[in-house]
Amino acid sequence: MSDARRLQIEKLNKFYGPVHAVKDLSITVEPGEFLVLLGPSGCGKTTALRMVAGLETVSAGSIRLGDDDVTHVLPKYRDVAMVFQSYALYPHKTVAENIGFPLKVRGVSPAERDAAVRDAAGQVHMETYLDRYPRQLSGGQRQRVALARAIVRRPSAFLMDEPLSNLDAKLRGHMRAELKHMQHELGVTTIYVTHDQIEAMTLAHRVAIMSDGVLQQLGPPREVYNNPANLFVAGFMGSPPMNFVHGEINNGRFRSDGVDLALSDANAPSGAAVLGFRPEDAAVGPAGEGRFDGGVYASELTGDQTLVTVALGDETTLAVKMPKDYETEYDSVVSVQFPANSAFLFDADSGARLSTGLKG
Amino acid sequence: MEQHQRRSLLTRLFEPPSIGVMAPGTSLIVYGLLAFWTAFVLFPIYWVLITSFKDALTVNTGPFYLPWVDFKPGLHAWRELFQIDYEDTLSAFLNSIIIALASTALCVLVGSMAAYALARMEYRPKFGLIFLFVLIMVGAAAAVGFLGQDWRLAFAVALALFVLLARAVGRYFKRAVGNGDILFWMISQRILPPVVTVVPVYMMFQAVGLLDTHAALIIAYAVVNLPIVVWLMHDFFATIPIDLEESAQLDGASRLTTFFEIVLPLAKTGLAATTLLTLILAWNEYLLAIFLSTTRAQTMPILVAAMNAGERGILWWNMSVVIIVMIIPVVLMAIVLQRFISKGILVGAVKG
Ligand SMILES: Nc1ncnc2c1ncn2[C@@H]1O[C@H](COP(=O)(O)OP(=O)(O)O)[C@@H](O)[C@H]1O
Ligand SMILES: [Mg+2]
Repeated sequence: MSDARRLQIEKLNKFYGPVHAVKDLSITVEPGEFLVLLGPSGCGKTTALRMVAGLETVSAGSIRLGDDDVTHVLPKYRDVAMVFQSYALYPHKTVAENIGFPLKVRGVSPAERDAAVRDAAGQVHMETYLDRYPRQLSGGQRQRVALARAIVRRPSAFLMDEPLSNLDAKLRGHMRAELKHMQHELGVTTIYVTHDQIEAMTLAHRVAIMSDGVLQQLGPPREVYNNPANLFVAGFMGSPPMNFVHGEINNGRFRSDGVDLALSDANAPSGAAVLGFRPEDAAVGPAGEGRFDGGVYASELTGDQTLVTVALGDETTLAVKMPKDYETEYDSVVSVQFPANSAFLFDADSGARLSTGLKG
Repeated sequence: MEQHQRRSLLTRLFEPPSIGVMAPGTSLIVYGLLAFWTAFVLFPIYWVLITSFKDALTVNTGPFYLPWVDFKPGLHAWRELFQIDYEDTLSAFLNSIIIALASTALCVLVGSMAAYALARMEYRPKFGLIFLFVLIMVGAAAAVGFLGQDWRLAFAVALALFVLLARAVGRYFKRAVGNGDILFWMISQRILPPVVTVVPVYMMFQAVGLLDTHAALIIAYAVVNLPIVVWLMHDFFATIPIDLEESAQLDGASRLTTFFEIVLPLAKTGLAATTLLTLILAWNEYLLAIFLSTTRAQTMPILVAAMNAGERGILWWNMSVVIIVMIIPVVLMAIVLQRFISKGILVGAVKG
């Protein structure tokens, strides 16, 4: 749609007394883009979103919507719509009245309002429920009404705070697809907050990963997944997440308990380091034929594949995804193999990605 | 099974025989207490009802409780109050209705808005400023009382002085109070026995020339009941999920629209209960009424009390009639408002 606008967040900060909830957050959401703000619970996602909505004052920084600086503008003048985790439907109003409320307070005539409500309800397949009250709807239907109320007035930007987290797993998958379809149809600039990396991967044009109020990485899902900027991002994305082996870099080699691997950069600076690789990039094989050996700790058939857990020393367990017909003995010694280009090395202290990789 | 046999009498009396059933001993006690309480509550009403159908002779010759058996009921008292003396009764009845409704409307409107503000916004008034305000107002009152200044002038000057001083020195005060303190301060006004304040209140209304008017009682009742409304409504507002109001704000509603469109309908239950309580308090109020009204603004409680002040002694039969007339509107109001005091209004608002 033509009225999608760019949303620019610059050096946004929020203090709750001594708590620094959001630190120097800078993100530009392009017109019509679906940006997902991803991070563990308590990392400041909701706070950031609420500042964009105008529900929370900004301690420092600025928010621009299109050409307007809205940092201190009242929520009602921002032209953004928000979908709350709790849906926040007005319980004493019918579905039609709920959806029509944003138009009613703007003084839109009843006839025009009615048409817009029908249109919005149609988009979320709720046309037949217009006379019901929220209490007479299922969770998924309430979710749809909340969405319809957000789209009915064609806002410049959508804000959604974990909108799917109250739904059961099956419905969540379904609504996810619908959300994506709808955002594509409407082309509205969207910020979507979630702690669920699957939602982030499937919905986002770009993902912004936050931890402790700090933006860790911003990029398309594929890039964030394939090319994590640091240890936090690498460990947060993926299910199961990336495997980590803690060790040390010395004389161009990465060493750990039972692991000794050559690095691509023979002159890599020495120090504590972490080797990472993803379960799906690795394979187990006969002992001695891979990059290192370990004992089979567990083997689980998840349906479409077998998840093998390999113990390395006493502290480290590594997950490896194998074909579904793979079978192995518990406690047998196996090797773990993975290609050099899917291995990552991180500085153990700062978590930063190292420029070196594994050799061959 | 064997355990069943060995149960003592006490257990058999007071232990429910199965789930969902009350034990015989327990139900005996519970219903006994309820019966006693019912009799306790209903007997005065019964007494008033039969007394209203008695005449002087029946009342004075001994306690009779059963109409047609003990005594012959008659419409004598009803006739006196509705045909002969009906002007007094009617005017007191109308006064009571006007004053109760108007003061309740004012009180609930102002009180619920104040309660909402206290529930949703944060106030941090400075201690020093409050002290300053009280000091200046006392000064103004002294100027009116001792120096005979015009009260309008005195308070206008005091207010202006306070605003100027507050602007000048306000930032030097550091200690502040919060919403909880304000709420407690409001309710603390009901801790004082009302009789303590009645003379100053009388003098205030005398000074502004409102004695024996509807306005005096409407204002006085609204002010006196305000703390109760604020206190109760604050609790009701606090239970409304804040998401709803934030959502309304993002939907484009102003604070006032949010209050009237979202908050108030959801606090309907509380509002009905609070309104009923305020109404009853205003309807039954006696102390302020006796001070602030003499003839024109006389209310029902005063009329009732007047029944024992005449040269004919206590007119029990007339008093009973007036009391019955007084009870009816309250009962009707309670029935009307009862419809709103239903549960489950918030179901479906959030999650579910
Ligand atoms: N109103 C508040 N007062 C004080 N601290 C808050 C408040 N809201 C959030 N916080 C703190 O800010 C941090 C970020 O919270 P939040 O934005 O809700 O995280 P998320 O949505 O990512 O789970 C948390 O540490 C939380 O305790
Ligand atoms: Mg959150």
